[in-house]
Order: sequence, then C-alpha cells, then structure tokens
Amino acid sequence: MYKEPAKPHTLSNFTTSLDQLRSSVLRMSSLAHLNLKNSIKGLMERDDDWCNNCIADDEEIDLLEMQIDHEGIEVMSRFHPFASDLREVISSIKIGANIERVADQAVNIARRARKLNEQPELAELHLLDNPIRLSLEMFADAVRAFAERNAELAVELKSRDKELDLLNKDLTDALINRMQDDSPNLPSYLNLIFISRCLERIGDHACNIAEDVVFAVNAEDIRHPGKV
Amino acid sequence: MTSAASNLPRNFFSDSGKKTSVLRLFRNHFLTGLCIALSLLTLVPLFSIVFLVIQNGLPLLSENLFTQLPPAPGLDGGGFGNAIMGTLVMVGISLGFSVPLGILAAIFVNEYASGSWLASIVRFVAKLLTGIPSIICGVFAFAAVVMTTHKFSALAGGIALAILILPTILLTAEQALLGVPYAFREASFGVGATPFQTIWRIVLPEAMPAIMTGVMLAVARAAGETAPVLFTALFSQNWIKGIMEPTASLSVLIYNFASLPYAYHIKLAWSASLILVTLVTLSNILAQVIFAPKHH
Amino acid sequence: MPNEEHAATPPEDFERPLELTDDFTPGESNFIKVDNFKFFYGKKEALHGINLKIPSRKVTSFIGPSGCGKSTLLRNFNRMNELIPGVHHEGDITIHGMSIYDPSVEIIALRRRIGMVFQKSNPFPMSIYENIVYPLRIAGQNTRSVLDETVERCLRSAALWDEAKDRLNDSALGLSGGQMQRLCIARAVASRPEILLMDEPCSALDPIATAKVEELIIELKKDFTIVIVTHNMQQASRVSELTAFFYLGNLIEFDNTRKIFTNPSMKQTEEYITGRFG
Repeated sequence: MYKEPAKPHTLSNFTTSLDQLRSSVLRMSSLAHLNLKNSIKGLMERDDDWCNNCIADDEEIDLLEMQIDHEGIEVMSRFHPFASDLREVISSIKIGANIERVADQAVNIARRARKLNEQPELAELHLLDNPIRLSLEMFADAVRAFAERNAELAVELKSRDKELDLLNKDLTDALINRMQDDSPNLPSYLNLIFISRCLERIGDHACNIAEDVVFAVNAEDIRHPGKV
Repeated sequence: MTSAASNLPRNFFSDSGKKTSVLRLFRNHFLTGLCIALSLLTLVPLFSIVFLVIQNGLPLLSENLFTQLPPAPGLDGGGFGNAIMGTLVMVGISLGFSVPLGILAAIFVNEYASGSWLASIVRFVAKLLTGIPSIICGVFAFAAVVMTTHKFSALAGGIALAILILPTILLTAEQALLGVPYAFREASFGVGATPFQTIWRIVLPEAMPAIMTGVMLAVARAAGETAPVLFTALFSQNWIKGIMEPTASLSVLIYNFASLPYAYHIKLAWSASLILVTLVTLSNILAQVIFAPKHH
Repeated sequence: MPNEEHAATPPEDFERPLELTDDFTPGESNFIKVDNFKFFYGKKEALHGINLKIPSRKVTSFIGPSGCGKSTLLRNFNRMNELIPGVHHEGDITIHGMSIYDPSVEIIALRRRIGMVFQKSNPFPMSIYENIVYPLRIAGQNTRSVLDETVERCLRSAALWDEAKDRLNDSALGLSGGQMQRLCIARAVASRPEILLMDEPCSALDPIATAKVEELIIELKKDFTIVIVTHNMQQASRVSELTAFFYLGNLIEFDNTRKIFTNPSMKQTEEYITGRFG
C-alpha cells in the first residue's frame, strides 16, 4: 500500500485541482461543525438566535456540497485520475454528501430546539449531554481522519458509533417512560426524542465519512463487513 | 467582436510602410525572380540540343534508315538498320549481365548483409566504379574478351557496357530497396514469411518502379556510350550475324560518320542521333508506364 | 534503482480474484510463461530477469514509460527481436509448456502461431484480399475456395466485412487509418494463431477508430490470448483483465487490472499511473 502521495503530479494543474477539492471539503466540514455547535448552543442555552443562525447558514453548506461535486467531476473529466487520486476524488464527493446531511441534522436540531424553547424547560434536557458530546466528537474525529489521511482513527470511530446507538436507545426508553407520567409535556419529550435521533444520525454520518477515508487511504471497503 | 477588433491598431497584421518591410519584400521578390531565371537558363542547352537534333535529323528520316545498310563513302542513299540492331543487341547483352547481378547484389547488400563488412566493401567498390571513365571499361573488355577470343564482337561490347552500368544499377537498386518501408518487412516476417518470401513477394514488387528507373538510366547511358564499344565491338558495314562478330552501333556510327568529309554521311549521323535520343526517351516512358506503382 | 529484488519475483498470487470482480478466473495461468528472461541489445541489458505468466484467452496489457522494455518483451514472444543484429537473451519463454527457443522450433511456424499487430498499420501495397491471404500463400495454400473462406472469416472477425466486402480487390492503401489497422488484425488472424500480440495498436488512430479496435480486442479474446502494449492507461484499463507495469527493464507489478488502477501495491506503479512520474 502506497499512502501519502509523496510527489506532486507532473501536471501541476492536476495537483492544484485535487488540493482545491480537498480544501473545499475541509471548509465545508468546518462550517458544518460550527453550525452543529450553534444548534446545540441554541438548544442548551434556550436561545432562538443561535438556532436561527444555524438554519440560515445551512444554505452556504448546500452550495458547498454542489461545489464539491462540481470540482470532483472537473478533476475526473480533465485528468482521469487513477488509483489513490481516483479514490480521493470519489471519497471527497461522498464525504461532501455526508457532511451535508450532518448539517441538515443540525438544522433539524435547531428547529426542534426552537419548539422546546417555547415550552418550560425540562430537567431531562441534560440527558442529552452525553450523546451531544459523543456525536460532536465523532464528527470532529471523522473530519480529522480525512484531513490527516488517518485510517486508524477512522476505523476506531465505528466502535464509538455503537456506544452512541446504545445511548440513544436508553434515552428514548427513559423519555417514553417520562411521557406516561408527565403527559402535559408530551410534545417536548417527543422533541427531545427526535433530537436524540438526530444526534444518533450524525454519528452514522461520521461513520460513513470514516469509511470513505479508509477507502481513500487504504483502498479497503470496510462497510457491511461479512456480507460480501 | 467588432469592438475587440477595433481596439487593434490598423496595421496589426501588416508591416507595410515600415522600412524593414520594404527591404524584405524587395529581397523576397528579387530572389524568387533569380531562381526562376536560373532554372530557365538550365533548360537552354537541353532544348537547343533537342532542337538541333530534330532540325538536322528529320530531313533524312524515312523507313529506309531502319531497313538499309550504310552507303559506301561518297555514295548517297541507304540507312543504318544494322547499327540500330547492334545497339539494341549490345544494350540487351549488357542488361542481361548487369540487371540480375546488380539487383541480386543490391538485395544482398541491403536485405541479407546490411551492416556487414562485405556489404560495405561492395557498396564502396560500386561507388568507386561509377566514377571510372568509360574508356577504361572498353580497355578492360578488350583485354578480357577480345584478346582471349581474338575477335571484336557484340559480346565484348555488351560486357564492356555491362561493367559500365553495373554500379549504377546496383546503387539505384539499393536505394530503391532502402525506400521500401521497414514496416512491410516487419509485417511479412510477423506472419511467418521467410526472408526470401518477404523479398520476392513484398520488397521487390514495391521497389520495382524505382529499380526500373535506375535500369533505364543505365540503358540511356549504355546506348549512348561510344568509347567502350569502339574498342570491343568495332563496327560493321553488314547486318549482325551473331554475337561473336564485329557489330555496328549507333554511337560508333555517329562518331565515324560525323568525321567523314561527305555531306550525306554527316546527315546520316544527325539522323542516327535523333533515333538514339528517341529510342532512349521511348524506353524510359515505356518503363515508367509498365512499372508504375499500382497501389499508391 | 527501484526495488530490484521485487522486480525479479512478481507477486505469485496474482491470480487471486479480487472481490466484487469476476473478470479473472484463476487456474489457466500458464499459457505464456516467461522465466527469468533477460534480453540484451549488444552489451546493453534491456530486460533484467522477467518472470511472468500470461493466462490464455485473456487480454493482458503491458504498460510503462518509453524504454521500459515492454515492447522488447512483447517482440520476444514471436522472436521478432531476432531481426535486429547483435541481440541475445538469457532465460526462457515457454508457450503451452514448450520453449520457443527449443532447437526444434521453426521460427516461421512459431510466427504463424502468434499473430502480431504493429503500432503503425502496415498493410502490404496489394488488394485487401491479397493482404489477408498473404499468410496462407506463403504457406503454400493457393486453393481459391480456402482463400475466399479465409478472407470472409478474417474480415468478419476483424469487424471489417461489411465495410470491405464490396471492395476486396481494391488497394488496401485506400482504406482509412482505422480500417487499415483492422485489416492488419484480420491478416494477423488469417493463419489461425492462438496468440495475438499488439504493439500500441491504436496510437495512430482517432478516438472512434480506437474505440472500434478496442471493441474488437474485447471480442477477439474469446478466441485468442491477447497481449497488448499501450501507452494509454485508460485503454489498458478498458480492454485488459491483467496489467503488467514495467520500468527500466524490470517487471514492477503484475496483477488484476482493476487492482492496478485502483490500488496498486508498488510505489512506482502508483506514481506512474497517477501521473507523478519523473
């Protein structure tokens, strides 16, 4: 396996275009990360402004996703990449799509948070602390794995995803129990369940990103192990 | 578009009016004119020869020239049928020796042994031989054939001419073979042909037009040479009876008759010149037609 | 010098089928076997001990920068290199388990079993018909019905029959570049060879003619073992099941084409196919 591309391409435009694609993905991911943090802030601090910020900024991320697709297609049609270059372009496009979905989940969280903010605060809000921390970490690490071409970090993310799934399941069970006792606040409990679901999805997308990183770096397909 | 074009200076694609431009244009026209004038100049001797030969040779032209024998000195009438025959026979003999030998040697040099020391020797000697004065060929044939058979003969004349034209044929045939693209040989070898099959079926047919051009050059030279024949075939007032007899030829006839003090013989010499030129030209054209490349 | 010791021993498990691809079946891998083969132009060693097994009825492509020895190796399979003075070899090449350098091997018969298509299409200056029957004629076959049948068979297998059937007696040099190259393929299969060697067969063709020749190559592998030298990596990845990468007279990597073009094992291969070379 030949990992870090040591030399630039003979055709310097090729290197420039690949670098451009890569930096677009990185820019998009940092924007998505910021948006996610804004929505969480809006949720935890019960502040609609942060939520509105997050919803408004999503448009920029959507545009960046299209730009990444465009740049990827440009590289493919101009330079016919092979081997590591080919894998890098393919995974960049796929990672772009996953980041876009993470940003969409952030918007969902922001919307639910605005609804929660209209209602009295629930003590159960802080049940979300752990899932929030874990999903934010996972997304940040997935992006770091891409930035550093770090396949080990990416592989390790998959086990953390299971932890997040469990947290989500426990939290949902707990909130369903609360709903029966505290029916006036039922809509808020539902919103909390939805938010937990969003966080769980963010973990899934982080995993998808990690899988694409492993493919780009190691040419290995670690999705659906044991099925092929 | 128009706005972009109007931004260009008016003389963007033209240097007219500049000092360099005038000089350059003048020099260009002058040199072109000079080339045309000089190439016309080279045509002057050629056309004046043709004109002179036709003007002086035409009056006596009749079928008698081809069917009758030369007149005795001082008499009028008659022709030089025997000399035409003799020239044809001797050129034929010389080709019979030199064409197979020259082409085979060229094939050896180019196809079988190219790059070997033997090939370079053959090539070197052939080049050397092209520069040999024709009279030396005559002297050699005289020593080698006439002295041993104790007879002037058409055979000796033919051999002298063969020696004279062999290097020309060899070298032009070699060039012709060289001109056949290597790709043809490669393709032929690639489907399992032997070297012989490749040469015989592909290379030789492809080289034939160029080889024949060389042969025709040789024919023209052989038919026109006087010195080698003078020594070896001598001359004869009679029809040719066999190749071991002294034989008349057009070139020797022209040489002999032109130096006689009889007006009629001098006219005959002019006619012989005309026929010689015509023969060479015709055989050239014929060869071009027959061996013209069929597939290009 | 890149990885000399690896070059001498290419991965023995190249037959391993790659997951998700069915374009290579192991088990028939000993058709052409190159065994520690060295080749010299005079004193210059052009190939440094090549080991390679080419399976039958597959397309194998040789890639690598100019002067890497890929054409030299290809031209040794039918001993065309021996037309060049001052060459010699060490090691062995076997086809069907028989050494092509065995004293009993007639070079003429060998070349009849191995068709070759060259970089520049080289039809003979004869009619289309005579071009195709040339390999038969030189083998002494002049029976009209056999020749007619061969012409049709070969033109059909070269996908040229419909274009050429009405002009069989026209000069082959009147064909277009792509047609000429397909005619050369037709001629190469006339003597019913088992192997087809192609030395950059499309480098002088336009994209459409190239596509037709490539289509033909994929079609022909049903009947022939095809080895193709190409500078066009897209072409190698389009037509071949196996790809060998050569560099400086060494075989650097030989593997499934998909593997080579998505995830090569060797650094030089990766650098070459991604355009990071030199």
